[in-house]
Amino acid sequence: MTVLRALIVKELGALFVSPVAYAIIAVFLLLSGYSFAVTLIVAKQASLVPLFFQAAVQFILLVPILTMRLFAEERRIGTLELLLTSPAREIDIVLAKFAAAMTVLLAMIGLTVTYALIIGVYGDPDWGPVYSGYLGLVLLSGALVSLGLAVSALTANQIVAAVVSLGVFGILWSIDSLASLLPSPMENWFLGLSLLARFTPFATGAMYTSDFGFFLALILLGLFLAVRALARR
Amino acid sequence: MEGHHAGPVAAAALDRLSKRYGATLAVDGVSFEVGQREILGLLGPNGSGKTTILRVLTGYLRPSAGSAQAGGFDLVREGRAARGRVGYVPEDAPLYRHMRVSEFLVFMGRLRGLAGERLHDRLAFVRERLALDDVFSIIIGRLSRGYRQRVAIAQAILHEPELLVLDEPTNGLDPRQIIELRGMMRGLAAHCSVIVTSHILSEIERVADRAAILLNGRLLAVVGIAEIAAAGSDLERTFLRLTTEIGSA
Repeated sequence: MTVLRALIVKELGALFVSPVAYAIIAVFLLLSGYSFAVTLIVAKQASLVPLFFQAAVQFILLVPILTMRLFAEERRIGTLELLLTSPAREIDIVLAKFAAAMTVLLAMIGLTVTYALIIGVYGDPDWGPVYSGYLGLVLLSGALVSLGLAVSALTANQIVAAVVSLGVFGILWSIDSLASLLPSPMENWFLGLSLLARFTPFATGAMYTSDFGFFLALILLGLFLAVRALARR
Repeated sequence: MEGHHAGPVAAAALDRLSKRYGATLAVDGVSFEVGQREILGLLGPNGSGKTTILRVLTGYLRPSAGSAQAGGFDLVREGRAARGRVGYVPEDAPLYRHMRVSEFLVFMGRLRGLAGERLHDRLAFVRERLALDDVFSIIIGRLSRGYRQRVAIAQAILHEPELLVLDEPTNGLDPRQIIELRGMMRGLAAHCSVIVTSHILSEIERVADRAAILLNGRLLAVVGIAEIAAAGSDLERTFLRLTTEIGSA
């Protein structure tokens, strides 16, 4: 536990010492604030559903920037050699990076709770979709971070890591659009892999155990692949 | 010519170690031991397998065949225990440049299971031993190459390793820093065994007890420095003779 804690503290320090985390948080808040204001003032809807979808799309675009450096940078400058030749386990190293990146995303999600409080004070929202939407955002960000980590663990080039992550996220987000072109049962398989199709019920207040399990499985798969990528040497 | 072992139990041992990168055989059936409190120099031209051997001995790479032990523990089967007995300074001393020296050393200490009083004592030891007092609270990225090398050595000896592995430690150092480093290595060998690689033969000759000479991933010989001198030769001539004989064979 001491080792994991030391690694998490180190990762958080590395993330917040660079301007990248602050830039990502600032851009996210600016865009989500704009979306919230338009929904509330122009469309006159006390709803966070548009905000959840916009936040999810922003995560698809921003998470690769956050995760690209996590392993690729350490591999490039050689510090990964220090970590992997210490008694720390690969799983500790991966979990620390996952926890640090999730801290940034949870901070971003947490700051948007202000919008929920505003509609709570000035309106009478249906709280079910609000809770499920936030849970969906947390699960989606977990899945994206773990997959981004796995990609970053495979390369020493941050740009390659970011581009490949973006490609993977983009395909997984919109893979359901191809589903209708495919014969059964492939249609259902592609639908089942779609991040958008899995996230939509959360954002609209209809949670299913299968969607929860899907995101959990993606998180575990990403972490497993990242550990395997580190162990392959 | 086989040199002596400095002690009865090996601090590190390679047994028919091979390492393959795809189709390339980087290390081919290398076996040698490093005795207690011994300094062993690894010599060889670029691409001879020096760094690969060090990376196997530190647990960074896994052998393709054969085995490697550190502190009596197999680096594959008992990896964590073996890695806990090794201190490693990779080539070019990679460090977290955004951290202060003190933060970095505390982090590396905790990574190796040090905490509380013991961590405090070990920090005081390396701070004094490597003369880091003046830079202890400075950000690593602002340090000179020589100080960065010292910080890298400090993190490697924090946990009192049985084996200290230094990959090209004199790279980029000025003559004064090289002389200082040589003195440090001798001092450190009072506490642990040392494996050091260098392109500079005279450096190895000055600090090492024995030298393992490699060519194209194969071990040509392990020679005792004192024995070479006693035979009226030197490491340079021995190295040239061995590498030329094999190269022309």
